[in-house]
Amino acid sequence: MEPMVSEPQVLRAGEPDDGPVPSAASPAAPVRTVSKSPTRIALARLRRDRIAMICAAVCAAYVLIAIFAPLLAGLEGQNASDLHQNLIDEFGFPTIGPTSEHWFGVEPRLGRDLFARWVYGARPSLIVAVAVTTITTIIGVVVGLVAGFSGGWIDRVLSWLIDLVLSLPYLLFAIASSAVLVAIFGGADGVAAEEVAQIRFISLICVLSFFGWASLARLVRGQVLSLREREFVAAAKVLGIPTRQVLFKELLPNLVAPIVVSVSLALPGYVVAEAGLTVLGAGLIEPTPSWGLTISAATTYYRADPLYLWLPVLGITILVLALSLLGDAVRDAFDPRTRR
Amino acid sequence: MLIYILRRIASAVSVVIVTLVASFGLFFVAPTDPAGTICGPRCTPERYADISASLNLDEPVVQQVGEYLKGLAVGRTYHSGGLAVECDAPCLGYSYTLGQPVTKLIGQALPITVSIVLGGAVVYLIAGILGGIIAARRRGTYLDRLMVGTSLGINAVPYFVVALLVSLYATFLPHAGYHPLLENPLTWATGLLAAWLTLGLANSASYTRYARASMIETLGEDYIRTARAKGISERRVVYRHGLRAAITPIATIFGLDLAFQLTGAIFTEAMFGLPGLGVLTLRAFNQYDLPVLMGGVLVGSVVLVVMNLLVDILYTILDPRVRLG
Repeated sequence: MEPMVSEPQVLRAGEPDDGPVPSAASPAAPVRTVSKSPTRIALARLRRDRIAMICAAVCAAYVLIAIFAPLLAGLEGQNASDLHQNLIDEFGFPTIGPTSEHWFGVEPRLGRDLFARWVYGARPSLIVAVAVTTITTIIGVVVGLVAGFSGGWIDRVLSWLIDLVLSLPYLLFAIASSAVLVAIFGGADGVAAEEVAQIRFISLICVLSFFGWASLARLVRGQVLSLREREFVAAAKVLGIPTRQVLFKELLPNLVAPIVVSVSLALPGYVVAEAGLTVLGAGLIEPTPSWGLTISAATTYYRADPLYLWLPVLGITILVLALSLLGDAVRDAFDPRTRR
Repeated sequence: MLIYILRRIASAVSVVIVTLVASFGLFFVAPTDPAGTICGPRCTPERYADISASLNLDEPVVQQVGEYLKGLAVGRTYHSGGLAVECDAPCLGYSYTLGQPVTKLIGQALPITVSIVLGGAVVYLIAGILGGIIAARRRGTYLDRLMVGTSLGINAVPYFVVALLVSLYATFLPHAGYHPLLENPLTWATGLLAAWLTLGLANSASYTRYARASMIETLGEDYIRTARAKGISERRVVYRHGLRAAITPIATIFGLDLAFQLTGAIFTEAMFGLPGLGVLTLRAFNQYDLPVLMGGVLVGSVVLVVMNLLVDILYTILDPRVRLG
């Protein structure tokens, strides 16, 4: 059970953080006590944080762009893979800038439409970040719960595993192991480019997930270690509630705050990781439309065609900025000590 | 204390051994064709046989690992194009794509990475700690809020974007390149200046906030009040009495950061074209140069594990309260 905090709202009406004074709270009205869970208190706090709300709106806009990418490209009348060679001069430079037909212009050399590639580029970033965050959160929470609650040799083995993963050189390993994954699943010659790109996509998610779960598992384990000594857990045990139910019905609700905070701080991290590895050439590959790929291709043309470089750079930067500031706000909302 | 250190060393050694075995399994035992990938697309049967025999791929796995370990301890001989190549201990394998022992390649790359990371660390430690002290002393003022806001903003921009933009647009900085320190310290420093400033700028943001928080806490202590009451000058109170205590938590974070950067300076290296450990690994990735990949991962793990161990041990010395028996 999530602990309920009884808050006589009238008594604390002067505090700015506990909701607007209900209209019923005139001096004549009887004192009403409303129970609020910490999660609801935090959400109310978050709703009043203007920066957080702006960032949430920006993130929502990105999600909409990613979902409706085909629609947006259709609105422009282009798609992400058509080559417009007639708009490219003999040196490979585009002959047009942004026009009503090509809103952001076309790519140098291949002549693909930049607006279509930009809207489609939101997809891999968000899919990778959300997928990796989901996988790492599930694994991290389960491992942390089991390790912290069971103790003994299970705890020792799992803790050692957590320490092991945390002490691996993450970037070097990510590059090396994705090479091996690609060699195992797509190393054969004659595999279509789309298929290789798909394998790279999945291997990137696997690699990032493998290195991501350990820090959350350590955090959850620490929390569980102290929670399992509390009376409500002892009571549940005495009542004969099965261990699985104790873990997920009794302990898990108490871990909502650290898990939500870790998720909201992890998301921007994985957006950066995907784009960064892709820029280095160790992440996604053509023909997947990805901001990282566009950035790495555009560095050669940064003087001749600044728009080509800056659109994906701004796309990534604004998304990461919004996600991180939102993450900070979520942490502040759940943990009153870090309030700005 | 001794038992604690011994236990930490044992766990560090276990991590290195597991990394070695796991990466060996990943690269050479997984259902791939290591000899084929190492040999490359234009592979002649003789070369393939050379590589297979040199790597003992036809022998049982245990023996392969044994040969690799033996190579690490006493060196071994590889055969390439009819020539026997001596690979002295510690031998991490032989790169058939580059025609050189992996140890030598890593030996060339590591000083570059270390130069970048240490130089950058000097920049962000000085800038971050000074910034943090200034912000802490003017806590709550416009300047303080500006500094904290800027540092949050810089932190939220992806590092590779910062490095990319500096490498493309900051043309007023001297051209990036690596020249060994012992040959000419001046060209060494100018060649790395851009990388140092980038790494320094990006990291000083978080160090400003660490230093600010730590300084605010310390300046609220009783002994600082006592020092002020004794009439010691404010500068001396802040820098002598305050900073000395405030720096302990920063030292720990710094140790962990340094370990991470030594294995993760890859963006700085790649954007400025400095051939360090990260770029070496990246090149190996693009050419499926398995021995170099494995060597890079192993050296990276050892660096990380040793640094973490040092931080843990130094911390027990710096802060006597955490001594775990």
